[in-house]
Amino acid sequence: MADDSLIFYEEEINQIDALISKMLKGAEAKCALLVDKDGHLITRQGFTHSLDTTALAALLAGSFASTKEIARLVGEPEFSVLFHQGKKDNIHMSLVGDRSILVVIFDDRTTIGMVRLYAKETSIELTKIFEKIKEQSADETKSGITHDFASQAEDKLDDIFQD
Amino acid sequence: MVSINYSSREVCCKIVYYGPGLSGKTTNLLYVHSKVPSDTRGKMISLATEADRTLYFDFLPINIGTINGFAAKFQLYTVPGQVYYNATRKLVLRGVDGVVFVADSQPDKMDENIESLINLEENLREYGYDINDLPMVIQYNKRDLPGVLPVESLNAKLNTRGWPHFEASATLGNGVFDTLKLIIKLVLDKAKSSAAGRSRPSVAVAASPSEEPDPPDTEAPPEEAVTAPADPVAAQPAPSTANASADTAPARAPAATATEETAEAESGPPPEPARYRPYPGSEQSAAVDNKPSVAGFEPSTAEESEDAAPQTAGKEDVAVMDQAEHLTQPIMSPSLKRRGQSADGKKRGFFKRLFGIK
Repeated sequence: MADDSLIFYEEEINQIDALISKMLKGAEAKCALLVDKDGHLITRQGFTHSLDTTALAALLAGSFASTKEIARLVGEPEFSVLFHQGKKDNIHMSLVGDRSILVVIFDDRTTIGMVRLYAKETSIELTKIFEKIKEQSADETKSGITHDFASQAEDKLDDIFQD
Repeated sequence: MVSINYSSREVCCKIVYYGPGLSGKTTNLLYVHSKVPSDTRGKMISLATEADRTLYFDFLPINIGTINGFAAKFQLYTVPGQVYYNATRKLVLRGVDGVVFVADSQPDKMDENIESLINLEENLREYGYDINDLPMVIQYNKRDLPGVLPVESLNAKLNTRGWPHFEASATLGNGVFDTLKLIIKLVLDKAKSSAAGRSRPSVAVAASPSEEPDPPDTEAPPEEAVTAPADPVAAQPAPSTANASADTAPARAPAATATEETAEAESGPPPEPARYRPYPGSEQSAAVDNKPSVAGFEPSTAEESEDAAPQTAGKEDVAVMDQAEHLTQPIMSPSLKRRGQSADGKKRGFFKRLFGIK
């Protein structure tokens, strides 16, 4: 698991984006995020400009992780769907494959049932894409991190982190 | 693990500040937050108790800029230090790329330091990491306080593995950036070497399938209900195509029988095709409903069949009415029946009779 880094190529992200925006249209939801269980944001669709998606991704992943522990304590391996209800906006989270979370934010223009239905179908499709990504990343050597990358990063660090 | 996104051109790494309670992990992040230019950092999030003790984690995203066309992002997390928060502490370590161990230099805190370090090793092991492989930096914090232990004795007790170490005072900011810079460098070096080492895919391939089949079975039972029936659908395309023809009609009417569906398909254009156009995979749930298995049961489709029920019930009513009319007509009006037989049929006779047309 430690060496198992997560690599997404443009083609797959486009496929994922298309699926998610189709879901948003169908379910009439506001926006959706796809978040890695570690807290990294994979992609986002819909009206996300007013949201701090980086923080949201970290918190949602944290929330999902803590719920997993709760599940274990009551004898469930994992809760695959979480729902937070607010006054205006609601959040629906569902597990995609074994390491991602599909987060849909919606308001009273739609219903939890519609979101649930579409999220479920989308996560099936997304799981297939993730399986493909996993197979590919196993035999590809392409990576964004090169020798250059690390040394250039060092220079940047000296500029930024000055007391 | 390092996340590389070629679409948004981002490289994202996760760094966790670990250590005993009150050793200064959150203070490290606060100092970074206060000193780094605001375009470099995101908002700092602190899930803390009312007494400002970390309850779950603190989170600070920093973006050091674009390198080789990739935005290099680092997510700094801290853990709650108190012993009894181990469950949440462990969660934060998931997918970690590098650890900064913040040790308290005061003599009476040595036991807590050692305990926390052992706890770190245990928690990492549970995620399948080896503490010796992970980029790690030790920070001896609170060096500004009087009576702290000398670095040599701290090293002798805590740093038996020879990790790089720094003396720091997080409140004043001494050593904070040195620690951060080094851990970022180590993380990138590690990512670089693991990227180069990925040309040996046999290990990764062997590791990934063993993880992959598990989750549907063990981790996500409700998903299983969905994924399992997907195979029968693929295996027998006949029902799904039958549905597809009828599925210009509402995707919400999966419980209808085959005859009803064909009748509906013949009866003309569907009532609400745009809103309820079948979404990819909805044919699957339609096929699932025909199976009277427990695995196929879903609350949502139960709703759907309820939705569909009035439609089919209505249709049956019409059929029953027609039959009843057919049966009652001769008794009520023999003359109309004769005319209906000779001309267009009984309906015309019925309306004529209704409106009193001779």
